[in-house]
Amino acid sequence: MKKNSMWSLHFTTAALVLIPAAIGINYLGKLFAGLLKLPLWLDSIGTVLASMLAGPIIGAIAGIVNNIIYGFTADPISFVYAITSAVIGLVVGIMAYKGWIANVGKALVLGLVVGLIAATVSTPLNIMFWGGQTGNVWGDALFATMMAQDMPLWFASFADSIVVDVPDKMATVLISFLLFKGLPKNLTHMYDNRSEIERL
Amino acid sequence: MKNMTLYVDKDSFIHNIDPLTKLLFVFLSIALTYILPTHLFVICVLAFTLLLLFTGKVFTYILPVIGVSLLLIISIIIVQGFFHPDRATLLFEIGPLPIYKEGFAFALLLTLRIINMVCAFGVLILTTKPDDLVDSLINKGMSPKIGYVFLSVLQIIPQMLAMTSKITDAQRARGMETEGNLLTRIKSFIPLLAPVVLNSLNDTRERSIALEIRGFNAKGTKTFLNESFHYKYGLILKIILIIALIAAIVWRVVL
Repeated sequence: MKKNSMWSLHFTTAALVLIPAAIGINYLGKLFAGLLKLPLWLDSIGTVLASMLAGPIIGAIAGIVNNIIYGFTADPISFVYAITSAVIGLVVGIMAYKGWIANVGKALVLGLVVGLIAATVSTPLNIMFWGGQTGNVWGDALFATMMAQDMPLWFASFADSIVVDVPDKMATVLISFLLFKGLPKNLTHMYDNRSEIERL
Repeated sequence: MKNMTLYVDKDSFIHNIDPLTKLLFVFLSIALTYILPTHLFVICVLAFTLLLLFTGKVFTYILPVIGVSLLLIISIIIVQGFFHPDRATLLFEIGPLPIYKEGFAFALLLTLRIINMVCAFGVLILTTKPDDLVDSLINKGMSPKIGYVFLSVLQIIPQMLAMTSKITDAQRARGMETEGNLLTRIKSFIPLLAPVVLNSLNDTRERSIALEIRGFNAKGTKTFLNESFHYKYGLILKIILIIALIAAIVWRVVL
């Protein structure tokens, strides 16, 4: 059996079937966060987990499909952020492949990087579609304060995204990391297209 | 099983249009409100979109969907009204707080665009069965595997929700607290999520075996269970939509 790179477009059936499961996990993460009244969304745990398990391409597809399905079933606004979700999947997949999920410390760095990149990708979307806001109360309060002091729009909008995205993505990546490390090996090998052991 | 989608099963002219034409309409309707950013024009586009919802007999169903975006809309009106960078002309004051004309006009434009965006997607979402949309996309050359991924999500989530209520009850019976201070609630997040994750990942193994047995990876052309692509007026509506887009671009460039 030949070894595949992380960019291989040849998906195993298991990896494809992982995508719906990942979206279900995203959905439940959001549901539990709402149920427990946590101050975060935690709505991309599944995408992050799928990237850790099966690589950046599957992660990115899971992100896009997630937002399209969410747009279809609850809130059409989420179509706009499909690109952010795809980038989250890509970044986690690449960095996980490079070994950034070896321990908790590295996972937190990964979370920080994902949060910053997610904010960077969201900012132009926020400016283009809603004049720079995110719809999150705390972020928008900061945005309003910075605008009142005549700071540049892009800077205020970026700060708005950062305070929302960075804590959320750090928590998301940390939770996904803990789940990932807890999974039995015979399960994780099933999705990994680098593995030489089990292949359905 | 609980129905996930917002699709409303009715018989109307809009329901019988080709899903891809509706998809094209969604992108076009949103693009038009950005190509020609004047209030009057955006109101016209919105009015047309609402007319389509009305024709599709789904007008009342869009209201809760707009409600989801209400927080964003309120936030835009407040923040842009008070703090828009070019604030100069005073429109009116609420107590000590001044609302500026420039910001208010901008906020109004953004709000109209958002409502139009939600309603345009509503035209597609409320009148199109997801199966039909995916079938049409596959017919146009999308990979059937990706089509499967889209549709299976709609089946898997209700199953996972059913599993979740069992797990929540089981963990509560073991003494897990889901109420209390923030730390208690954070601590109960993992015990709730981990079993569902493990279970659903285990299910993917069975699911992929089941799929491979049924020739999921088989080479060759895939056929459809329901070979029904009898949509009327598909081509002519698409041509009208494209002409509208070109007209808007020309108008923007010339004027």
